[in-house]
Amino acid sequence: MSGRILIQQPGNSVVTDLGRTRGPRFGLPVNGALDQYSARAANILAGNQDNDPLVEITALDFRMTANTDVLIAVTGAPLTLTVGGRPCSQWEPVSVRAGESVSIRGIHRGLRAYLAIHGSIEAETLLGSAAPDTVVGFGRQLRDGTTLVTRRSVGPVRQPYFDLPLFRLGLERPSMGSDLLVDVTDGPDVAEFGESGELLFTSEYTVSGRSNHIGLRLGGELPERTSSGEVLSRGVPVGAVEVPSREELLVLHRGRGVTAGYPVLAVVTSTGLDVLAQARPGDKVRFRKTTAAEATAAHRRSRAQLETLRESVHTVFGLLGIGCRPQWQDLPVAACS
Amino acid sequence: MSVLTVAPTEIYESGDSALRVVAISQASEDNWLTVHRLADWLENCGAEGLHGAVPTYDSVLVEFDPILVSARQVRAFVKLGLLELDHAGEGVQTPREFDVPVVYGGDFGPDLELVAQYQGISTGEVIRLHTEKTYTVRCLGAPAGSPMMDGPAFPKPVPRLKDPRLSVPAGAVAVAGRQAVIAPASAPGGWCVIGQTPLSVLNIRKEPLVPYKPGDILRFRQIATEDFNGFVGMDLEPLELERPR
Repeated sequence: MSGRILIQQPGNSVVTDLGRTRGPRFGLPVNGALDQYSARAANILAGNQDNDPLVEITALDFRMTANTDVLIAVTGAPLTLTVGGRPCSQWEPVSVRAGESVSIRGIHRGLRAYLAIHGSIEAETLLGSAAPDTVVGFGRQLRDGTTLVTRRSVGPVRQPYFDLPLFRLGLERPSMGSDLLVDVTDGPDVAEFGESGELLFTSEYTVSGRSNHIGLRLGGELPERTSSGEVLSRGVPVGAVEVPSREELLVLHRGRGVTAGYPVLAVVTSTGLDVLAQARPGDKVRFRKTTAAEATAAHRRSRAQLETLRESVHTVFGLLGIGCRPQWQDLPVAACS
Repeated sequence: MSVLTVAPTEIYESGDSALRVVAISQASEDNWLTVHRLADWLENCGAEGLHGAVPTYDSVLVEFDPILVSARQVRAFVKLGLLELDHAGEGVQTPREFDVPVVYGGDFGPDLELVAQYQGISTGEVIRLHTEKTYTVRCLGAPAGSPMMDGPAFPKPVPRLKDPRLSVPAGAVAVAGRQAVIAPASAPGGWCVIGQTPLSVLNIRKEPLVPYKPGDILRFRQIATEDFNGFVGMDLEPLELERPR
């Protein structure tokens, strides 16, 4: 059974997914959830596919009500989550009754939160992705009164005693705060910066308010290009660290234009991009040099945690009959003791 | 067309999920052909974990999911692709041709005068040089799959605007450096806008979103201001007649 979710306070929120990986070939940025770990975790906690459409909420308070019982999960930056006025846990599945108000307030120590709904929500796609692309005018910015259609309803799942949280899945939450450590690898054009390239690792940078999903602007001591002359436009990776002006460092994020003519000093790692996705204006950033092999090992470790979570969710949801017939009656007595 | 050769290449790591392959022969045409043929090959090779390839002039950015495939494996794919292309010696499709009506100057081309002044030629001469050339789409760039082309035979490279515009309309026909472009979608821009086409270049209800591919051919044709509205709402489409080659 499908249901409707009414957005009552949109704040700054969009329907998105993990991104348009086919986009760059056609000149479109990948876009999608900026904090990929949190977005994946939200969908896994809600029993969805990793790439299902979900809501990305940036900085501002958000409120919605469903006309059917739903199961949700909220991840990302720390915040206050209440359902029908009851405080609820982030990073755990949360059962919501029809008509109860889901409220997300006070996002802090980070910038972006992710709200996934069991059964996901219907969304148009472009090149296989629901992620908004502001340049071509695609996607769904949520407004006051927007209705989202969820594909599935979930009967109430509630602990009978004192409404204690039912789930304790214990996923490791990413650390957040105003001092960020961001891993980078040497960029393909690092040689063009000579010794000044080392400044990237010895200086502290401050996140400018002019940062967004396209890129973060960082103030601080700037490495300088030693070579001159025009560079042919080239495909630039997400995470590229460039020095386009004398004022700021530019770190490209998932909304980046796919081609550019600036030399790439360094490239932020996959896990580092999740850290930057949560950077607030005024936060301090330090860069740490790593290798692609180490970066991939770290990325795989964090993904392995999500795989463990997926198994736990699968087991728990199976027992409770979320998305299937309850199986707890089938358990041998010993398993319940 | 001459015999296709695959230019020698260098491969650079570009973070944990991308490689940059640069073609380094002295012949820029060979470099361009090599990176575009390689991009097509990678697109069609069906390797798991490859997101796609972004070819431009002398380089191609190969993006992959490092959870599914290692950088070493992607490097091996790239080398295999280059080897196969070298043996195949074909693979270039017949280009399609596009006719692009343009209103030059005035509100449609606010920088036409500026470009003429800087080049020391008349606006009519700028238009003549711009419409005279046959353009090859070199690559799809930002924003939104812009057709990046080698520019007209102006005396000098065209400098970028000191104050980039916050919004350049869709259809804007612009030049900068030694390059020419059409803006498929409204976006900020620092290139000199000399005209505008009334045709819709980008259509997000179609796939691909833009009708041209690298290698296709574009020609600009001047139309009168009063004819602009007659084209509005029409999509840019390839000419149907195949010319004998």
